[in-house]
Amino acid sequence: MFLGNLGSLPYFLPELAVTATILLLVALHVVSKRKTTSAPGFLALLGVGAAILLSGVSAPGSGKAIFEGMAAYDGFAIFFKVLTAFATLVVILMSMDSEELAGRSKAEYFIFLLATLLGMFLLSSATDIVMLYLSLELVSIPSYMLAGYMKGKERSTEAAMKYVVFGATASGVMIYGFSLLFGMTGSTQIAEIGRALASGKPALPVVLAAVMVAVGFGYKIAAVPFHMWSPDVYEGAPTPATAFFSVAPKAAGFAVLVRFYYTVFAGPDAAAGTWRMTSTMDWPLLFAGLSAVTMTVGNLVAVKQNNVKRLLAYSSIAHAGYMLMGFVLLSSAGIEAILFYLVVYLFMNLGAFYVVVLVRNATGGEEISDFTGLGSRAPFAAVALAIFLFSLTGIPPFSGFIGKVYLFAEVIHRGVYWLAVVAALNSVVSLYYYARIVRAMFLQEPKDASAIPVPAVSGAMLVLLAAPTLILGVYWEPVARFAHASVRMLAF
Amino acid sequence: MSAFLATVNFASPYFPVLVLLVIALVMSVGFVLLSQALGPKRYDRIKYGVYECGVDPLTPAAVRVSVKFYLLALLFMLFDLETTLLYPWAVLFRSLGLFGFIEMAVFVGILLVGLVYAWKKGALEWQ
Amino acid sequence: MGFVDSHILSLMTFLPVLGAAVLLCVPKGKDDVVRWIAAAASFLPLVLAVKLWFAYDRTMAGVNVASQFQFVEHYLWIPSINVEYFMGADGISMPLLMLTALLSFLAVIGSFGITKKVKGYMALFLLLETGMMGVFASLDFFLFYVFWEVMLLPMYFLIGIWGGPRKEYAAIKFFLYTLAGSVLMLLVLLALYFNTTNPETGGHTFNLLHYMAQGTHNAWLKGFDVRILLFLGLFIGFAIKVPLFPFHTWLPDAHVEAPTAISVILAGVLLKMGTYGLMRISFPIFPDVTIWFAIPMAALGVVNIVYGALCAMAQSDLKKMVAYSSVSHMGFVILGMAALTPVGMAGASMQMFSHGLITAMLFFLVGVVYDRAHHRQIDGFGGLGAVVPIYTAFVSFAFFASLGLPGMSGFIAEQMVFLGSFQAFRPFVIVAALGIIFVAAFHLWALQRVFLGPLNPKYATLEEINAREIFCLAPLGALVMAVGIWPMPLLNLLNASAVRLVDLVKAVI
Repeated sequence: MFLGNLGSLPYFLPELAVTATILLLVALHVVSKRKTTSAPGFLALLGVGAAILLSGVSAPGSGKAIFEGMAAYDGFAIFFKVLTAFATLVVILMSMDSEELAGRSKAEYFIFLLATLLGMFLLSSATDIVMLYLSLELVSIPSYMLAGYMKGKERSTEAAMKYVVFGATASGVMIYGFSLLFGMTGSTQIAEIGRALASGKPALPVVLAAVMVAVGFGYKIAAVPFHMWSPDVYEGAPTPATAFFSVAPKAAGFAVLVRFYYTVFAGPDAAAGTWRMTSTMDWPLLFAGLSAVTMTVGNLVAVKQNNVKRLLAYSSIAHAGYMLMGFVLLSSAGIEAILFYLVVYLFMNLGAFYVVVLVRNATGGEEISDFTGLGSRAPFAAVALAIFLFSLTGIPPFSGFIGKVYLFAEVIHRGVYWLAVVAALNSVVSLYYYARIVRAMFLQEPKDASAIPVPAVSGAMLVLLAAPTLILGVYWEPVARFAHASVRMLAF
Repeated sequence: MSAFLATVNFASPYFPVLVLLVIALVMSVGFVLLSQALGPKRYDRIKYGVYECGVDPLTPAAVRVSVKFYLLALLFMLFDLETTLLYPWAVLFRSLGLFGFIEMAVFVGILLVGLVYAWKKGALEWQ
Repeated sequence: MGFVDSHILSLMTFLPVLGAAVLLCVPKGKDDVVRWIAAAASFLPLVLAVKLWFAYDRTMAGVNVASQFQFVEHYLWIPSINVEYFMGADGISMPLLMLTALLSFLAVIGSFGITKKVKGYMALFLLLETGMMGVFASLDFFLFYVFWEVMLLPMYFLIGIWGGPRKEYAAIKFFLYTLAGSVLMLLVLLALYFNTTNPETGGHTFNLLHYMAQGTHNAWLKGFDVRILLFLGLFIGFAIKVPLFPFHTWLPDAHVEAPTAISVILAGVLLKMGTYGLMRISFPIFPDVTIWFAIPMAALGVVNIVYGALCAMAQSDLKKMVAYSSVSHMGFVILGMAALTPVGMAGASMQMFSHGLITAMLFFLVGVVYDRAHHRQIDGFGGLGAVVPIYTAFVSFAFFASLGLPGMSGFIAEQMVFLGSFQAFRPFVIVAALGIIFVAAFHLWALQRVFLGPLNPKYATLEEINAREIFCLAPLGALVMAVGIWPMPLLNLLNASAVRLVDLVKAVI
């Protein structure tokens, strides 16, 4: 049933590709004389590209438990591997474009990026609590380094410090929760834990475990009240790293959240495509409350922000809240909605940050006031950013709307009407702060009306990110089918 | 109150542990609070000063430790753990056969890359 | 011609946005080319609208029977969630489709005076036209919703970039208000989706006609409390657009700050979408709640009439006065709809069409004087009649049409509304009829202050109205007169559907 170490290797190819790339990057960095070539970037691109291609090599059919049950190779894991790898690809290109990071060897930066990616690969497929903890730390620790990468900037160091302290605390609480689960059930395999819990365990430790693990996962996806690190880290980190944090670790966090809770604290129900809660604690209700609070806090605080990166940080918090809605429904349609939303969210968010990178390159600033008059100074970038921002709001005809429709639809289908109303009202609030940026770009005249040139490669990247945002708003069948096919999680 | 007491299993072997825990908590917190409440508070410059074996303080309390110590500790921990993982492998070396050897070689190889990196970056220099 | 005939609604909907795509490729500096491409892109739907007029069979009522809709296009769009591309026209949407085509074309001509960022303006305007056409033609709720929302973005930019002094405030206020209503509509849409079954396939559907068949509703959806909530959710969303008191506060700001042509479209077409939504969606799907809610709705309509008129009287800005007069006129539509009689419903439809024409004229005329004098303060003018007689003639015509003078379309529509509502809401009708006095009052008073009386020496050399502006006004004026003297053609167009709609709602009693 479980594949041994050697037998699991064919299913481990993406991770091996990334590992090899990391080692080669280290070697390259150590050996190269000129420190500012773009060779590390291209090597990183190659490695991540190889990882994406290798992800679907052995089509799963049904899933396989690899490495003696430590990890799972199933459609769910493959979806997240492809998603996070693609996000990393875009971020690598963004980093090569960014002037914030220029002037230093980027090899170490890419090493951290790829190490985080490796962690995310493992996190998406982990089925053992030890592996879960290991991969979560593997995602977090290089992220700390990425946040603090700009050594000379105070903001960056502050961001890294806050990230480390917060992350360590959250991980500590989480591992305590894991230890409670191990103590109650005697196993580290999440499926076995799930079965043991289903057969009846005292309520208090189960509740404690569920809540503590929620702390750890909630920290990763920046859900309220575990979000306090997020605005400072997003603001202080170099912008490409911020873009990365807002999409990839969040996606991996959702992967592990779904897999863990649906396996440990719930079991498949007789009705196809739904789960039944097995623990005495009503954790869907807890998460529904978290979702509502996250959306609301994220949106309301974003209204007051003037720094675009901080604003986007709070908007990411709010979007995590929307995605949590799909999580509480205990149905595969809910998971599909989350998966679909993650895909469109990737394009919108990375695109928005890309334009922020471009503006920062040109003006050196990240405040809303630095975006004034962008409509006339760099119309292409401004239109692209407007597309991304309105897609984030969730207005037709953009893909963000379709993502929200899927989430709202399933919430209404399962009868959690209050949550849908909260989310709808939050969407309206979010319009206000996204429109503030659009207003600065198009409705206000700039003090300095000189044109900002957009390099061809950056322009191409913007098109590559904006096109799916537009197209998926009109024709999204392939992505929907991909999400539908990926909901098959291994249940052993 | 009685409902709470009903949940406590007096016959359990862990009951004395609970008693110990409670007493320890009560004593430690209690003594601190008690001394705060009952103790006299008379300010004296020497009483509130820093303790340095009875003489006047020679150096300020906040000393900046060189980051080299931290680097060294970090590298030590990493390679010490590598060594720790080498031990069980060494014990089972024969039964693990070629597969085990290659696996450990890969492990040591990856860490070797890290060592070379640290070396080239100057983390192994003391000055 | 076969393709055109079988896809006439899609062509009317998408030709403008195709024109927008074309004009975006025009090289910089060729503003005139952009303007003429935009004019062509909005003229073609007008031609198709004329074709619609002649091809429409007046005997088919539509409303809730798929086979009775005309110019139907029905394809599957997104199979996995049962979204259909379902377009069709009946007597409720026909006048509005034609109105949209006409007003859009005239607004493009009226926008020839814009000199700043012409390409962006025209492209956004054409996108707006696509949205408007799509809303009136859609018979699938999801499709309707997408087109409804598509209108928001262009309006935001059109008001926010080319508007008046407080354009940013007005634009974001409009956007937020309308979006709030729209998300409520989205929730109701999804609730309807999951709680109805498609009689043909057994699955879920967004098809409005299936929603109208009460048999497709499941047990939850049949509960009256639930229906009240859903109806009110939709009602708020549509009431914001109408704009019905107390959701009307976005209108004065948006209208005043928008450029002339956009005000024309906003008042002439966008306001009709609220009442169209009520007629197309709320009334047929929730007839029992409609009857339950009829009296409050009528009350709100009367409040609109009287309150709108009183506010208009208090204004010193000519454009704001016209904006409030729109609020007042839309009250008639709501009153006529709430009466739930054939005459009332037909009167409401007529008022929608008539008001569209009249208010368009009014806003164009305000734009004329604003272009020349650069302010709209009523008391800042005086005695202009002596200087610009042709303009004065047009303004007098428009004002008289707006206050419901017999011989013009407004009179026919308002009288039909009164006739239809008198039995059902006698006190309301009496109040509304008295309210017309206020309507007349503010119009005549403004006329007197601006055009009659002693000449304000500042404007002794005011330019007369020019040929382009007359071109925008003349068709509207002609139609107003034509409908006012001989309303039968228009009535025939919408009558069958109005009667059927009332029967459908009353059938649950």
